[in-house]
Amino acid sequence: MKFIFNLTFREIRSSWRRLLFFFLCIAIGVGSVVALRSLIQNLAQAVGGDARALMTADLEIISTNDFSPTEISKIEEIINKSSIVEARNEAITASAMSRPVDKANENFSIVELKGIESPFPLVGNFTLENGKLFDFKLLENRGAVVAPILLEDLNLKVGDKIRIGEVEFEIRAAFESEPGDSGGFRLGPRVFVEKKAFDEAGLTGNRGRLTRRILYRTSENPTALVKQLRDNLQGTILRVRSYRESQERLGEQFARTENYLSLTGLLILVLGGVGVWNVARVFVEQKRKSVAVLKCLGASGTRIITVYLLQILTLGFIGSLFGVLLAQLTLWAAQSYFGAELPPEMSYAVHFSTAFQGVLLGVLISFLFSALPLLQVRNIKPNLLLRDENNKNLRRLDWTKTIFTIISVGGLLGLAVWQAGSLIVGAFFLVGLGLTSVILYFAAWILTLLLKKVKNLGSFSLSQAINSLYRPGNQTRIILLAVGLGAFVVLSVQFLQSNLVREFDFTRNQTLPSLFFIDIQKSQIGELQRIVTKATGEEAQAIPTIRARIAYINGEPINFQSPEVRQEQGRIGREFAVTYRPNLDENETVIAGNWWNEVSDVPEVSVEESMSKDLGVTIGDSITFDVSGRKITARVASIRDIDLRNTRTAFVFVFAPNVLQDAPQTFVATVIKKLPETERARLQRDVIDQFPNIQIFDVADIVAAVQKLINNFVLAISFVGGFVILSGILILIGSVALTKSQRIYENAVLKTLGAKRKTLAAILFTEYGLLGLLAGIIGTGFAVLLSFAVSKYILDIEWEFNLTITLAGILITTALVMIIGAIASFDVLFRKPLATLRSQ
Amino acid sequence: MITLQNVTKTVQSGADALTILNDVTLEIPDGQFVSITGASGSGKSTLLGLIAGLDAPTSGAILIDNENITDMNEDGLATLRSEKIGFIFQSFHLIPSLTAFENVLIPMEILGLKDAKQRAKDLLEAVELTNRGHHYPTELSGGEQQRVAIARAFANQPKILLADEPTGNLDSKTGNHIFDLMTDLHDRHNVSLVLVTHDQNLADKSQRQIILKDGKVISDNYNNFGASEENLSTDEHG
Repeated sequence: MKFIFNLTFREIRSSWRRLLFFFLCIAIGVGSVVALRSLIQNLAQAVGGDARALMTADLEIISTNDFSPTEISKIEEIINKSSIVEARNEAITASAMSRPVDKANENFSIVELKGIESPFPLVGNFTLENGKLFDFKLLENRGAVVAPILLEDLNLKVGDKIRIGEVEFEIRAAFESEPGDSGGFRLGPRVFVEKKAFDEAGLTGNRGRLTRRILYRTSENPTALVKQLRDNLQGTILRVRSYRESQERLGEQFARTENYLSLTGLLILVLGGVGVWNVARVFVEQKRKSVAVLKCLGASGTRIITVYLLQILTLGFIGSLFGVLLAQLTLWAAQSYFGAELPPEMSYAVHFSTAFQGVLLGVLISFLFSALPLLQVRNIKPNLLLRDENNKNLRRLDWTKTIFTIISVGGLLGLAVWQAGSLIVGAFFLVGLGLTSVILYFAAWILTLLLKKVKNLGSFSLSQAINSLYRPGNQTRIILLAVGLGAFVVLSVQFLQSNLVREFDFTRNQTLPSLFFIDIQKSQIGELQRIVTKATGEEAQAIPTIRARIAYINGEPINFQSPEVRQEQGRIGREFAVTYRPNLDENETVIAGNWWNEVSDVPEVSVEESMSKDLGVTIGDSITFDVSGRKITARVASIRDIDLRNTRTAFVFVFAPNVLQDAPQTFVATVIKKLPETERARLQRDVIDQFPNIQIFDVADIVAAVQKLINNFVLAISFVGGFVILSGILILIGSVALTKSQRIYENAVLKTLGAKRKTLAAILFTEYGLLGLLAGIIGTGFAVLLSFAVSKYILDIEWEFNLTITLAGILITTALVMIIGAIASFDVLFRKPLATLRSQ
Repeated sequence: MITLQNVTKTVQSGADALTILNDVTLEIPDGQFVSITGASGSGKSTLLGLIAGLDAPTSGAILIDNENITDMNEDGLATLRSEKIGFIFQSFHLIPSLTAFENVLIPMEILGLKDAKQRAKDLLEAVELTNRGHHYPTELSGGEQQRVAIARAFANQPKILLADEPTGNLDSKTGNHIFDLMTDLHDRHNVSLVLVTHDQNLADKSQRQIILKDGKVISDNYNNFGASEENLSTDEHG
């Protein structure tokens, strides 16, 4: 053992520089796994870690309508009997327009208004910007506590007044961290007011997107209480939730995301593993003579393998530790780039358990990918010291190698399953990776074959460069596979981004409005139209909208208290904005049934295609809607397809004209004309001044927000893609090292035969240029295919070929491989041929 | 005692089988200094390699101290080498990643000897390299490297020392010095020394000269000096 440890130590001391790439491969792989896992873990902790604080209570009952007296009594019947309820309050939220009372200040902003009652919050802390805790007295007599960003947007300070709806509020403080803030997508900054003042602001009347909550703090686990409430509230559309359920749901979602992200990390680590495999092969190749000497001196093959394995595991371990450091640096980078988009209380530290997992993963990958090349040590015969025969036996497959191959694949599957947290996902990952590799490898094979055909067409340098790609022990296809895969990931995302951004670019859609006015009261239509026409010359059409929920399908009630419906709440359990009209819109097509030409005695409704699939309804089925507590049953008369690319409005449910005209309704108006920003702002201010209850959506703002979201998403994925490319480059450098001795010899011979350094440099650049070109073509080609498939079949958006990205992708990949490959072999050009030839 | 019984070694050269050693039978008693000469390709180095168990003969048997090494597996041969055989190569074959001192240390560490470090120091002193122990092979001259190789070959106190053209890569002055060192150690430690060489002057200094041609022993003679009575009496080839 002493011999093994001594030799391992001495070998590391002398070979660590040569194994630096190995070290980096592992470090980058482990770094990406640990960074991705930590990021999502920390996010989960910040967002879902304290679901109680997020809910600001232990239990909540939610409604989008006013709580009816029956509902209140049903709730109180249970609550009054419960001994665990400690405190109660109510909250109401809605979005609204706000602007400074000071007429000279022309700013305005949409805000998320929250009306609260004392005590608030029931659970968690509410800290103000000055470090003090929130005091409910700040809200009394029309006070408001606002998000600091609102002060910035409206150019106001604490003490100034803002108008929201009909009421003027005095800004009494700005908060530092808001209880119940999940960091999700928001229309505008949060403003807290007294619930009483909210009602007075005239925002609670006949309008949608209003959420009312009754919140309770309990002394014990509220699960049983939730069940009792749900049982008692059967038949109502109220939702009952406990923080525990939210916590579980969030926990599951985050665990799934974490596992999927870890697989992405594992992909990079596996690429790093390919690098390790290459480096281990070079290493064994370089160590052949030392191994023969050791064998000659009496060391057995097993002992020598143990020495090199220990060496690799040690470096794998240190590389993994370095990877953890890299992950920490990445997290800090993420903090500075995405900090504004992520929850403010989020931590950017790597947890010990994640770091440990990363290190274990790194050491295991080092072992799995180096074991097979190291086994070649067994086949090195000591007599090569006397007669250096070629290495034909080195790569021979025997039963030990077969067993180790099986162990390696099995081990890799184990790691994939471990990281994915699921056998099926892990197996799919490995099979998918295998298939992608086979396809890319096959493409590489075809391209190199084609290249051989053009070998005789070009110059001496070109034909020599092509020859080099075929030299014995060449790494051409491995490099194409690794670099091609990296380019593929990065470019796929770029192609998808270009298609997504174009899809959301409203300037291309001439019928998409630039401004939406919603919650218009019937009495306000005339005056609003006048203001709009004056500003735009456009006659704004007012479209009636009614808030409705689905209550029954074909007479079967939807039980909002059942777990399945609660899960589907977002899609079918939500409140819909529905309308009625006699005609079909230009961008709509009836794909089943008939559009109503004349008024029928039976109420009729037309359903959007994907919603009809979600609900499982066809022509002739009946859907019963709950409209402000009144039940309206309508027959499905038609199913429509809406062309979202060419839309003005998109209503999932459209009723025949005679059904809802007497129901309580508000109106929506739109402006199509693309006004300059200042005119758009002036028009909005004019409307807010006159009708504070009307909400205005500026599509440009929404598009900008969505684009920002897409850009962040793309940046994040490109970041991951960058790691993939980096692994590819390391494999490239490792491969250059693998064939370096051959290149040195070839160059020595060519120099002896009269080749100038310029010619040799030209061969070098052409060789790597060709390699990069092929990798670029493979990566870009498959990225185009993937982006097409994803756009068409998953995102359902229009796909357009992007020539700029295609050319840039191929060019950058070519340049990258050419430069890196050439730099890694450049010293070869300066070697004196005599010394090289003598040593052969 | 080294015994070769009808040893033949054939290798595949392209489509043809090439016989490197052809039915060689030899016996080398303990403590004898034998030189093997012959033209390039006559099979000298192969013969040496087979004695060291670095390769296996195609047919015939090789016995070291009456133990047939032809049937041994790789690990058995490795053990045999570490216990009984020292090897010196024409191109030294030091491990480039280890210092001179560590190169000498290796065989003793493989054997697990306790006083390895002290012995390594003594051996380096014996080859007059006391001050060069911490240098890596690339920092040493050819002669120095070969002296390290000699110290390494003696490290495991072998009974048999095999030397393959040990002076072939050195100038004549250094070569002579190395030869003297080798024979001096041979005399002091009473090991069998088998020297493969092109240099007739060196061969003439050995007790016994074997000449190979096309894989066959064409001459096996004792030089008329230095051979003891005892050695002469074991000579069967005359």
